[in-house]
Formats: sequence, C-alpha cells, structure tokens
Amino acid sequence: MGVSMDIIGSFADDQLCAKGIADLRHAAVEDFHVFSPIPSHHIEHAMGKPKSRVRLFVLLGGITGILTALALTIGTTWEWNLGSGGKPMISWPPFIIICFELMILFGGLSAVTSFIVNAGLPAFNSASGYNSRFGEDRFGVVVRCDAADGDRLEKIESILRNAGAEEVLRDAA
Amino acid sequence: MSAGLQAARAASSSAPAAPIAGAAFKGLMAIFVAAGVLGFAMNVGGANAARAWQAYLVNLLVWLGIAQGGVVVLAAFYLTNGRWAGTTQYRLAETFAGFIPLGFVLFWGLYFGRTLIFPWVLHPIAQKAAWLNTPFLFARDGIGLAIMTALSLWLVRLSRTAQAARWQRSSEEILLAPNPIRKVAPALAICFAVVYTIIAFDLVMSLAPAWSSTLFGWFFFAGAFWSAAAAMALVATIMRGRLGAHNAFKNPKVMHDLGKFVFAFSVFWIYLMFAQYIVIWYGDIPVETFFIVLRVYLPPWQHLSYAVLALIWVIPFVTLLGVRPKKTPWILGLVSLGGIAGIWLERYVLIVPSLSPHVVPLGWIEILITLGFIGAFVLCALPGLDRLAAAATEETWVEEHE
Repeated sequence: MGVSMDIIGSFADDQLCAKGIADLRHAAVEDFHVFSPIPSHHIEHAMGKPKSRVRLFVLLGGITGILTALALTIGTTWEWNLGSGGKPMISWPPFIIICFELMILFGGLSAVTSFIVNAGLPAFNSASGYNSRFGEDRFGVVVRCDAADGDRLEKIESILRNAGAEEVLRDAA
Repeated sequence: MSAGLQAARAASSSAPAAPIAGAAFKGLMAIFVAAGVLGFAMNVGGANAARAWQAYLVNLLVWLGIAQGGVVVLAAFYLTNGRWAGTTQYRLAETFAGFIPLGFVLFWGLYFGRTLIFPWVLHPIAQKAAWLNTPFLFARDGIGLAIMTALSLWLVRLSRTAQAARWQRSSEEILLAPNPIRKVAPALAICFAVVYTIIAFDLVMSLAPAWSSTLFGWFFFAGAFWSAAAAMALVATIMRGRLGAHNAFKNPKVMHDLGKFVFAFSVFWIYLMFAQYIVIWYGDIPVETFFIVLRVYLPPWQHLSYAVLALIWVIPFVTLLGVRPKKTPWILGLVSLGGIAGIWLERYVLIVPSLSPHVVPLGWIEILITLGFIGAFVLCALPGLDRLAAAATEETWVEEHE
C-alpha cells in the first residue's frame, strides 16, 4: 500500500459526470466519492448505491406515531369518560385523524434526525479533494488510489478525460 | 426529456395510415350500442322504466365524467408545463374527448325521464323550489354543459396544432405553452369546477332532496378527474403492448408517472370522501346521516359501498405504493380497470339508493344499457386513439444500455 493519491475530475455537466462515474464502475474502480452542487438523478443513478437506511427509520417513526396517537386518544378516553352526543367512546373516525397527524409528525422528525445521523453530520473534516467550486457550478469525482501505481493512475485519468472532464488533477490524499 | 426519447419529425399530430381498431372491433362496439338502445327502448315504456332511467343517468355521468375529466387532465398538463412524455401524454389526455358532444346530447334525454329520476318533479319541495324546478335545472345544467363542451373542443383543437406539438416536445423549462392555450386551459379548469359542482348537486344530490353536503360537488368532479387518470393509465398499458417495439409507452418512466398520477388522486378521492364522512358522523344529525346510513351501514347497499372503497382507494393505494408495481404494465392496467369499475359502482351507489332504497336493481337492463354506453364511448374515442398511436409511435423510446 503506501502513500495514497487523489485524482480529481471536474465536470461542468451532470450527465457527463454521470457518464464518467459509469465508466469508472465499468472499469471496476469503486473507491471514489462525488461532489455535486445540486441534486442530480443522473449521478445518483450512475452511482448505483443501495437505497438509504433513512427509509426504515421514517417507517419506524410513522408506526410509532400511529401507536402514540392510539395511546393518547384511547388512554384519555379511558381516563375521562366524556361522552359526546351518544357516539361510541372508542371510535375510529375521530381517532384516525390524530393517528394520521402523529404518523406524519413522528415520521417527519425521524426523517430529519436519521438523515443527519446517517449523513455523518456535523462533518468537522471536509472530505478529501473538495474544492469550493464543487459547491458552486462544477461536479467533482475524486478517486482514491495508490500513488505508486502509475498505470492505474493514468487509466483513471484517461477514463475521466474521455467522459468529458474539464480538468483532471492529481492531489496528495 | 431523457436522451432516449427521440421525435422522428416535428409535424403536428395526424392519424397514422393504419387505424388502431379494425372493422371487427368497430362492429362489436356497434353491437354494444345496438344492445344498449334496445335494452333501453324495451324497458323505458314499461314497469322497469325507473330502472332504465337510473342506468341511463349512472352511465351518462360515468362516461361523460371520464371524457370531460380527460380534457381537464389536458388543461392540468398545460397549467403545470408538464412535458414528461412529450406529445404522447397530451394525445393520451385528449383520447376520450370525442364523447363529450355525445354526452351533451344524451344529457337532454334526461328531460324525458325527469318524473322517474327527480323526486321533486312530482313532489315539489317548497323551500327548495326556487332551485329544484325543471326549467331552471335544465337551463343551468344545459348551459353549463354547453360551455364545457365548447371549451373542451376548443382546447383539444388548440392542443393539436403544430405550434403546440413543438412546445410539447421541447424540454426548455423557460418556454411557455402557446398563448391561446394559456388562456383557455385555466378557463376550462375553473368552469369544470363550477359546472360539475352544479351537475353533482343537481343530478346526484337532488335525488335525495332533503340531504346536502357542501363538499359533494368537489368530491364528484374529483372522482371524474381520477376516472380519467385511470382510463389514461389503462389505455397506456393496452397501447404499450399493441404498438411498435419502441413506442413511447415502453419507457418505464412514463408508466411510473402515470402510476403516480393514479395513486395520488385516489388518495385525493378518499380524502374528500372522509372529509364529508367525518363531519356527518360527528354531527350525527338525522337529516344528514340518513344518506350515509342507507349506503354504508345497511344491507343491501353496504356491500357495494365496501366494494367501491376497495376498488377506488384500498387496492390502488396498497398496490401502487411501491415503484415497481407502477412500472409493471399488467398491474397498473388491472388496478386502473378496477378503478373504472369502482367509479361506475360509486356513481351507482350515490344515485340509485335514493330512488330504490331497499332493492339493488342489477340485472339485464343495467348490463345492456352499460354496454350501450361503453360501445358509444369507445367508438367516440377511436379517432383519439388513432392520434395517440401515431404520437406514441413517432416518439420512440430506446432502452439505454447498462
């Protein structure tokens, strides 16, 4: 192993960036990360990452919300038996509204919390290869590789250039 | 638009050389129409006249709802600058518009059955007589439907021009739709809301003259809008299999979008239904609850109501929640077909119990008249289907490698 090096490819168009990513993965290069100033379906699709774990937490949050709402509504009805107009005490039409609302609330809060945790935020160290233009108007692909392996470095650089990278640089990792 | 979507030529929509339906199919639809006319004519004079008129009214509202709803979907596409499927989505929404003029004509037929349809014709209600009287009802509904027919045909004609087709194929966000369309589409959408609210109040709600629900008009026309979405999804899945190998409907994103459309508005329907239900349930006022009790709590209508709920909301919601079912044509097609059946049953459950509280009239009369309307609807939709086939074949989609 030894010293690592970053190859940074800068793209002006998200579809070209996506092509570069697809070409890298075709060449069995997987140790890279991508910076993007905007959300891009093309890049997302090209990276082919599995679906996020946040979805599970949103589901759990939603289910917790429904159960909490049932506990709240049914519990308070059992505590204080306030009848209204002769309607049944435990009845689904009014209770389902509270269940729905708490499902949304708990689901939303879990979405935010699990997203922050899952994304590793707050990130005190910025990822290697970051440049401020990747937060402005350029897409960046940063490939980590062994500094000594000259062939591999050149192969990766040519893949990125052929895909349409504006600039390809080497940077010490 | 994605890189795989190509337009062969920038021409306005035109019918292809080979029409989508052969003579045999047209003949079958003509037989359906004849069966419907026969079924209606044989019964409208006799003891079952009320049933004949009920079936007529239910079918008129269902099929006119789909046709008109399609044009409102068209307006919605223009109002939202939607171009997720190029000209194909616009031809798809226009497919059923051919039935609207026929629906307008058939509306006037209700005049001859008014004594059997509207309870307040033979037994006028003093407090509501200013609104519920024959001349005023037919005047306002007739004028409203005339306006809707004119606006719909106008929008469809504007939508088929070369300029509109060019815009439909473009992908620049900044380009706006052609000017006349930007005026007609919002006018049509607003008129639809107003006219169909009045239609719902007059032709459905007034059949139980003691009952009223403020949201009923919206509930009714939202159902019509959704029935059009379901019909569009069904037509898309059928066309997908019948057109060439690279037709626009082969694009999974188009099926996904249609599936999302069907899913979302089914949720809208249940939302409007529950909004009325909870208010009536909570108030528990007899003058409001009798309508719901008859349909939801008491046999024989109870079972049909649950079927309506299953077909319009439960099945579409549970089935179309995921991404893959929406992209699977047979699933989307089956759910949409069930949805159209659900809307038919919904109109049936809204209208018929008011006129026949204890008996569910479902037999040959209803079947024949329904077949008649289906035949007429499909025959009117055939020119639109031809244009759709032309558009979907022109805008080819080739599966991107990898």
